This record gives sequence, structure tokens and C-alpha cells, in this order.
Amino acid sequence: MTRLSGGLIDRSRSLNFTFDGRKLTGHPGDTLASALLANDVRLMGRSFKYHRPRGLIAAGSEEPNALVELRGGARQEPNTRATVAELFDGLDARSQNRIGSLRFDLLAVNDLFSPFFAAGFYYKTFMWPKAFWEKLYEPAIRRAAGLGSLSMQADPDAYDKGFLHCDLLVIGGGAAGLAAAQAAARSGARVILADEDFRLGGRLMAETHLLDDAPATGWVSGVEEELASLPNLRIMRRTTVFGAFDHGIYGAVERVADHLPEPGDKPRQTLWRITAKRAVLAAGAVERHIPFANNDRPGIMLAGAMRAFANRWAVSPAARVAIFTNNDDGHRTAIDLAAKGVDIAGVIDSRDNVTAMGSYPVFAGGVVSDAKGRLGLTQVEVTQNGRSQWIDCGALGVSGGWNPNLHLASHHRGRPVWDEALQSFVPAKDGPPGLIVAGAANGQGSTAAALRSGAEAAVQALGELDITATLPDLPQAEDVVSKPHALWHVPGRGRAWVDFQNDVTVKDIKLAHQENMRPVEHLKRWTTLGMATDQGKTANVTALAIMSELTGKPIPETGTTIFRPPYSGVSLSVLGGGNTAEHFRPRRLTPTHHWAEAQGAVFVEVGPWMRAQYFPRPGETHWRQTVDREVLATREGVGICDVTTLGKVDVQGADAGEFLNRLYCNGMKTLKTGMVRYGLMLREDGIAWDDGTCARLAEDHYVVTTTTAQAGPVYRHMEFARQCLWPEMDVQLISTTDAWAQVSVAGPNARRLLERIMDEGVDISNEAFPFMACKSLTICGGLRARLFRISFSGELAYEVAVPTRYGNALMQRLIETGADLGATPYGTEALGALRIEKGHAAGNELNGQTSPQMLGMDRMVSTKKDSIGAVMSRREGLAADTRRLVGLQPVDSAQPVLAGMHLFTEGAAQNTETDQGWITSACYSPHVGSAIGLGFLARGDERMGEVITGANPLDQQQVALRVVSPHFVDPDGGRLRD
Amino acid sequence: MLIPHPLLGLRDAQEFTYLGDARLIDRPDGMAEGAEAAFAEYVYLRDNPAGVHRELWFHEQGDRSWLIVTRDTVTHEILGAELARNVALAANGGEA
Amino acid sequence: MTDLTPITALGASAPADQHFGPLRISENADMALASLALRRAADMPAPMGLELPAPGKWSQGQGVAAFWTGPDQWMIEAETRATEDFAAELASHAPGCSITEQTDAWTVFEITSDRGDAPIRAMMEKLVNIDTGSFGPGSATRTGLHHLSVFLVRRAEDRLAVMTMRSMARDLWHVLQETARRLKGEPA
Repeated sequence: MTRLSGGLIDRSRSLNFTFDGRKLTGHPGDTLASALLANDVRLMGRSFKYHRPRGLIAAGSEEPNALVELRGGARQEPNTRATVAELFDGLDARSQNRIGSLRFDLLAVNDLFSPFFAAGFYYKTFMWPKAFWEKLYEPAIRRAAGLGSLSMQADPDAYDKGFLHCDLLVIGGGAAGLAAAQAAARSGARVILADEDFRLGGRLMAETHLLDDAPATGWVSGVEEELASLPNLRIMRRTTVFGAFDHGIYGAVERVADHLPEPGDKPRQTLWRITAKRAVLAAGAVERHIPFANNDRPGIMLAGAMRAFANRWAVSPAARVAIFTNNDDGHRTAIDLAAKGVDIAGVIDSRDNVTAMGSYPVFAGGVVSDAKGRLGLTQVEVTQNGRSQWIDCGALGVSGGWNPNLHLASHHRGRPVWDEALQSFVPAKDGPPGLIVAGAANGQGSTAAALRSGAEAAVQALGELDITATLPDLPQAEDVVSKPHALWHVPGRGRAWVDFQNDVTVKDIKLAHQENMRPVEHLKRWTTLGMATDQGKTANVTALAIMSELTGKPIPETGTTIFRPPYSGVSLSVLGGGNTAEHFRPRRLTPTHHWAEAQGAVFVEVGPWMRAQYFPRPGETHWRQTVDREVLATREGVGICDVTTLGKVDVQGADAGEFLNRLYCNGMKTLKTGMVRYGLMLREDGIAWDDGTCARLAEDHYVVTTTTAQAGPVYRHMEFARQCLWPEMDVQLISTTDAWAQVSVAGPNARRLLERIMDEGVDISNEAFPFMACKSLTICGGLRARLFRISFSGELAYEVAVPTRYGNALMQRLIETGADLGATPYGTEALGALRIEKGHAAGNELNGQTSPQMLGMDRMVSTKKDSIGAVMSRREGLAADTRRLVGLQPVDSAQPVLAGMHLFTEGAAQNTETDQGWITSACYSPHVGSAIGLGFLARGDERMGEVITGANPLDQQQVALRVVSPHFVDPDGGRLRD
Repeated sequence: MLIPHPLLGLRDAQEFTYLGDARLIDRPDGMAEGAEAAFAEYVYLRDNPAGVHRELWFHEQGDRSWLIVTRDTVTHEILGAELARNVALAANGGEA
Repeated sequence: MTDLTPITALGASAPADQHFGPLRISENADMALASLALRRAADMPAPMGLELPAPGKWSQGQGVAAFWTGPDQWMIEAETRATEDFAAELASHAPGCSITEQTDAWTVFEITSDRGDAPIRAMMEKLVNIDTGSFGPGSATRTGLHHLSVFLVRRAEDRLAVMTMRSMARDLWHVLQETARRLKGEPA
């Protein structure tokens, strides 16, 4: 078939494209679907289950059949509906779900076995033997029952997200939507008009109706021009509003560059989160078909779609067409196509006593009962008054009435209600607050009613916002309400398709009925009706009407499934919005990151941070060599480590001490100014939560630290305590984590090194600045700094803090100035080994399962004051737990110690009942000369010296371990105080 | 969802962190008689109504205020929001 | 004057500065920041002649400015004083307040437009869920931006400052660059 006359395509330019390798041409304004029809391609795909040859059903996003693969290479994109793919020069499209060619698909053999694939076949057929499911059945089914295929390469395109706010969101740019947008925009309100098409006008573009005695395109361009000139209105074409969420939030996808060969600098698609005070849903309606035997032959489509192809795209699927209808609307297709010179074989109208509205034959009281033409329709069987005849036609338009596109109105669970007069579901009144449905989406399907209801909806919506809008002068338009005769399917012996995409037939629905899968939600799951990419837009209502016939219950009692977002498919890429790979989430860098990078450090993710894990030197071939060297250098000389990642919170106010007293289980109020104290925070249920240090810089000023991992939650908790629990206290909080670069300087030479960078007159001798002292001072020629004498490693140690921008230089200075003292940078591995050797609890020990008793810190929980978690930490269940933190050392020093090993009495059976505890942390200790571990062991404090078993049943490992003090290094703490 | 912040107006719920039942602001006195029983209830027992619920939200990506939001858990309708600090002060007999 | 050499939040010796069509994004490394929180029953101070703004607002004085960050809490900005102990000076002007140094807690990117407010609004629409229509000059807020926590200050119709925690400066810079570059490819 060549092109018809007219249409909204630009014939002055041609676009080249390919379909299954064939070189074809179309015009700007075409979709892939219309361009294929213009090239006489009716066969566009294979069905999901039976691999039946299929052609177009629809002209819009409801299309169930013509799913194609677009583009190649990494941009290969499966399952795009040919009806929404805008044609561009160079488009490469392929049919999918076939083995071999589209015309001779080897999997079409499935169609012969269709009796085995009836409703519920998954649940019935592949039950036995069980092992076959994973190895045989599932892969075979997935291969056969497929849609398109993925490129298996990373998507090269960019995706974006964005946020918009408006008074009124108008969803749909047809007659109702344009009238709503016009009325709203003239009021000065902030309006967004979103339409999924690339051209505004909706159904007006597909019809020949006159507006004020002129073609509708004129009115549409006029409104479009006016709207474009108004700064308070934003037109978003190619934008699908896919979901209505709480409080006026709508999700939308804008296909920014889907219609271009490559996006260039643009994102491919943008995910918009639109916050709208009010919305008008003017999404139109979708026509429904009428199932009859073999109604899936390529060339059988919706009558309204056939009309749209003829009027908007100037194509007809065949030179001779027939129409099957149960309402007046079907006749319009005959009139419009006849006017364009298409031969009308006849209109088969199920209603008695109907007459033609133009010059074409009418089969009144007739139905189409069968169809021929496996790869393309050739004949339909018309049954009238009990007699049947075959008539020739290359295409059949079917019109069974229109279903309002009310999906978004039921996204908050509002159930559509049945309108007997319209023979369709219309939106319930309890839809999402702030959303008004207008036009065909609300059953107001005539052009005049759509225009009027759209404008009225906008005026009403804005009125609720105290914005005065007035009804615009609307053009005169047709106002015929088409009421279908209730005909839901044509009874017969052959298979009649209800859901084309999922290959669900009338027989499947009958079977579901027989098997008592009658409620609509069961029907859906048993038959797969209404699933997959089209979500049953052309199928659902027909299916439940058939079920209603079978049960004898009226349609309202049969009910309908409710709709959930998304209205149509949304790609995962756009939902990700571009946060991929290294930008999946923020990576926090420490102040010394650039220096560490230059040193060749290996980095590790610690929560959101990237930290130096270790600093390999030339010649070191294994990470353990490096880490052992860093540990020993710290124990023997001086090691330097960036510890900025610990959370830091500034606590000020007259009641700061009392506030911290209640947050930490131990006392903080009595801490002297200029001193630091270790603090343990409990959860209110008595479990140990987080630890750190509190430094009292002044009477009313503390700086507390948290663990790296819990910095955010602890700050939130502190604000909770300040605002909700003790609001009468005078306390002010602010995070200072990023403000200060903090480095740990640890080892016997730590003081000698630091003395070299102190400004004149600063005394950090042991007498002037003892263990657990802190103060503000200046270093390196007047730079303000804070010094804390605290130790995580068990060595003489300090932490020095400077404004972050100087952290990198400070690190470099310490390493250079301390070269003769053995100054060595160390990373998180050495940091871990040093603290395990010293027996300091860290995240592995504070894992949300351990009590202060287990940590050996129960005496820290003050009974003289109330603090968070104190009461519950003393409850019976926790008090009865005898597990205690111990050190563990292998009897044979060559044996490994692994975190996660479970502990058992030597020789005992190993099961849950005999379990004695577990190992929390393990490392190789260069100091001890073997692997060591920390762990919780039942009655651990009484079992020093005992040999127990560490078990790792996953690898059949059994290691004899000696129970020792958790302090492998300097148990008396002498080094800290020197 | 949109949370009507008493100082900042409607803000997207994505800026907030949810905690739960607003009764968590009524913390028992740990030094009082029978504190253990009171804490057992405070820590573990919560109402979980299908309907109107007073709950704590933290404006983490915002002004760091804790809010008490009254919300219908069935419809998600929000009936009001207050600064938790003011509610706590009033409950403690202090001035807001 | 210290002999340690500072680096910028992006790890460079000089602040970042780049043009994208009508937009210019530059790192403001010279601004000192300090938080000011009122203590119990304190009178509202007017440090350095600044009138502390209402919730959601930013106000400007002579070389200093302030924006509201929370109930009874503000951030004070001081141009070109990043390497000084500005917090200490502010404390002397605000008795009865808790002052905390915040200069290096944040990294500040100033976005300026040479074509009025439209490019600034387009940028905001792609970054933050804040209604540009009610975020005119003198507005300030904290919000989320691509998993980052940011302060936004609308200094003028054609000027917007975006601040995030210094450790995440690289991520913010990447997002701003990418967004500004893409906007060049899209009609406003």
C-alpha cells in the first residue's frame, strides 16, 4: 500500500531506516509503526508464548504486539513499541522473540502444542522431577517465551533526573488537556502540560472532526502558539507521567533524545519528579477489541488505530479493509478511510437495524467469527442470522467501545466504577487528592465534552487554590456520544485472543473459571492476563467482562484489578538517574587523600570514605609485608595515620556536661577542662552502640568523637536527645567532622616528632601535657591546632587537628621532619592490627549484639546517674550472659585465626547448644609473631590459659586456641603514660 | 510525601529520616522506682495503628529539627506537624 | 603566618573555575564560615552589624553575611577571611552565643549566570527538589543533591551558592559540571 493523501508527515524529506535488515524509507512525523505500514509491512512480531505471527493492534503506547528491538551495539534496546518509536534517519529496528526469520520462526511449533500451554501451565506442567526445573524447564521456557534481548554491555548514554513544581499539572495534550492548559495558563498560574506524544493534539490529530468548521489542526496550533508564548506554562512533549504518588507528587519520564540517533551532549531520558498542587488527568481513552477465532492475524487492529494511521500518518494497512464494530464509532473509520480512497469491504455491526453512515455495505446484526491469513489477513468470516460467508479484505478494524485511561486515578487504590450507559469503567470519585479527571479519561469522550470538561477541570482545580481562572471560548465541536452494544466476544470453537501480549485466550479464561480462579486478581495470576509491558491496556476490561459472563455476576461485582505505577514501562537506567559506577554514591575523601595517592597508597572503602589501607614500598610483594612493616614502625619509631573520618561533634552550652552525662553511660560532667575521657554510648535497650572520646576544651565546650560508621546516626541521636528528651537544657550541637584534619601520631618517638612542629612556648612534655590531656595551640608558624593525647594503638600517642585545608601539608611535614625518627605512614590495616594487639573494641565488637558486661565495661555504667541504656543494661537477660571479651592465640603459631570462627570447649560436640562464643576480630600480629584474635567467650574472664577450639565448619578448619588477655601489648598501659 | 515543616513549609519527605511513634519523647526517669518495667514498655511496646499516628521525623537534609508529624497511616494524609522540641517543653511544663 | 601550604577542597593549589555557556562555576576558597547558635535565653545578637535572618533566609552586611541553618542557629560568612581565626573574632562580637569554626567543614561553589535567572533555575531544577519559584534572592536552605547534603544560598537572581561537606567536594564538582554541560545541550 502506498501512502494516502494528507496526514501530518513532512513529505519533503525522506528518512532511511531498516527493519530486519530491509532498507526502507519514511518521513518526519512517522512512527516506526506508520512507516512500516507505509512500506507494506504488516507482520511485525511473534507472540510471547505461541510465537504466532503478529501485526499492529494499536497506534499508541497501549500496543501489545509490535515490540521491536532498536539500535545496535551497546545501545541495543529491547521491547520498544513500534507505535511510540519516532522515526529518525538511520534507525535500525528488528523483530524479536523468534528463532530464524520473522516469517518462518522455528518456535512457531509452540503453537501446535498450545493445549499444553493453557492457563496455569507453569504451575501444572513443570512440577516433576524437581531438579529439572532449574536445569531444563526454566532455561527452555525463558528462551522460548521471551521478549527482546539485552546488549549485555554498559549503557553508553547519560540519564538525568530533575524536579519541577507547579500549581497545575495537565497530563495529556489532547482536546481536554489543551483546553485545561489554556484555561489555566491564562490565569497566570504555573502550569505544566505533559504529553507522551511528540506532537500535541492527542486524538484530534487522528480524527477529521471540525472545530469551528475548520480542521482541528488549526485550533491545536493556535493553542500551542499561545501556550508557548506564556512564561508561566511549560510544555513537555515526549513525556509520560507514569505515576501519581502521595501529596501531589507525580513521576514522569521525558524521552529527551530517544528520537535522535545519538544523544550527543543531552541525556537520553530525564526522570522528573513533579510536585503539583493540583493535577488534571486528561489521558484519553483506549479502544477495546472484540475477541473472535483467530483474531490475532496480522492486519486485524483497532478501528480507531486504523483511522489514526489513515488521518495522521496517511497510511492504510491494506487497500481493502473491513470494520467490525458494536457502536457508531466503528463507522467513522469506514467513512474516513473511504474518503481517502480505501476500498471498504463492509462494516459488520453487531447491532440489529443499523444502517450505513456513508457508501459502504453494512452487515447489521453480524459478527466476525473467523479470520484467514497466517502471515497477513486475507479473509474474514462474517456470520449473520446464523449464516456465514467469507469476505476478502487485507485488514480489519475492530471497535468494541472505549476504555477511559484512568490508571493514574487509581494509583492510590481508588477502584474504578462501572458505568452501565458507557459500558466501561470510569474513575472513582476517591482518586488521589488534588487530581481531577477530564475528557475521555473520565468518560467524556465527544470532542465538545472533552474540551468543556478539560477547561472546567482546570478552573475548578485553580479555584481550590484561590486562583481565578475563566473558561476560554471553546470551539464548536461534534458532541456525539457513542454507546456500544454489550458484545464482549464472539462465541466459537477456535482460539480467540483476549490479551495479545501474553497469549491469553477466551478458553484460558474459561479454564480459569472452571478451576475456580474467578476473582480478578486470581484470574490475572493464573492466566498472566494483563502482565508484561502493556499491563493489559487493551485486554483487562474485556477479560473480566468474559469472566462476568461465566460467573453470571454483573461486571461491577466481578470488579477490576487496580493499577499501580508505572503507567507504561520505565527503564531502570532512568530510574538510576545517572548515579552509576564511581558516582553511584558520594565518596568522601580524607584531607590527606592526595598525598596518599602520590605515595601509591592502596585505598579501601570505609562506609562512605575512601581511606588509605596501606602504603606499599618498592620491593614489597605482599600486602602483609607492608602492613607488618607499618605496625612495627609504629611500635618502634613513630607511625602517622589520617583519622579524620571519625565523627566529630562540637557540644557547647551551660549544660553541655550534664547533657553528655546522660548520653554516655560513664560520667562526663566531672571531666576536667583540658582533659579527654573515653566514652561508651548505649542504646536505650542496654546494648553497646558507639564509642569515642570526649574532650573538654572549656567549662562549657566539649568536642566528642564517634566511630566512622556511626557518625551520622549518633549525631541524629544527639539531636533527638537535645530536642525531644531534654529540651530544657542549654546545649548547642554542630558537626565538625569535615572542618578539621586529624592525624594520629603514635609510637615511642611521637612526642619528639611533635615537639619539632610546635610553635615556640608550647610545652607538650609529659608533665605539662599528660596522658588524656587536650588543648588548643599553634603549630608550624602560627597555625591554629588542637592536640589530644589519646591512643588507639597502646603506644605513646597524640592526635593533632588542623583546619582541613592544611591536612595534606601537615602529613607531608610530619613524614619529612620525622624521617630520622622513623616516621612512617600507616593505613587502616595497620590501624586495625595495632588496636587488636592492644585489645581495643571497635565496630566488630560493637556490632549491636554486645552488652557493656561482655565488653568488660559494666563497671563504667554509672549507677549514680540516669543515662541512655543504663537501666536496660542491667536487666536480667543481659546480666545472665557470661560471654566476655578475651584474646585468643593459636597454640601452634603457624595456625590461622579467622574472624567469625565459633568457639567450643576442646573435644566437645560442635552445635548451637555447645557454642561458647565467636571471634570478632583477627589479624596477624607482628608483635606476638602469630595470628591473634579477639572474641567473646562464655565465662571468658575465668578461663585464661585454657585451650579451646576455634571452628570454621565451612572450610573444615579446627584450630586450637589459648585464651589470653585481650591486651597483647603493654597490658599495664605504661607506654601510654610515659 | 510532603511534610509541612512548621518553619519551612512543605518539604519533600526524602529530606527526612523516620524514627517512629512520637511517644519516644516520653522517656521514663531512670532513677525512679520501677524504672526497669517502665523502660521495658518504653523500649519495646508501641501502638501500630491503621489510622491516625503521631510520629517522629528528623529533617536530616534540612534544618536538623525533629518534628512530630500526625499522619493517617492508611491514606498518608498529614494532619499536622510540630517542632518536637516545643511539644517536649510543653510536656515538661517549660515554655515553648 | 604558617609555613604549611593549604590545598583546595579539590586537591589543587588554585580554586576551580569553569564556564559552561551562560554559567560560570567557581570554587570560593576564600570565605570563612562559622556557625552561631543562641544559648538559652540569650538576646538576639547583631554581630558585626548583621541582622540575623529568618528561617529560610540569607542576609548580607559589610563583608559578612548570614543564613539561617536551624532554630536559633545561623551560618556566618566572611569574605576573604578563610585562613584567619574568624570564629574567635565572631565570638568576641556575639556574647552569649556558641560559635563553632566551620570554614573547612564546607566547600563553596558559586554559580553565576550572564543571562539572568533562567540558567540558574534550569540548573536548580536538575539538582534539587526546591521550588525555584519561591527561592528568590535572599533565600537559603539545606537540602539533598544527588545523595549529597548541601546548603543553597540564592545570593542574587543570577547567583547561587552551593555548599557541601568538604570531603565530598569532588562529587559535587562533578555533578555541577555534568549538569551545566548538559544544559548547554538543551534548550532552556
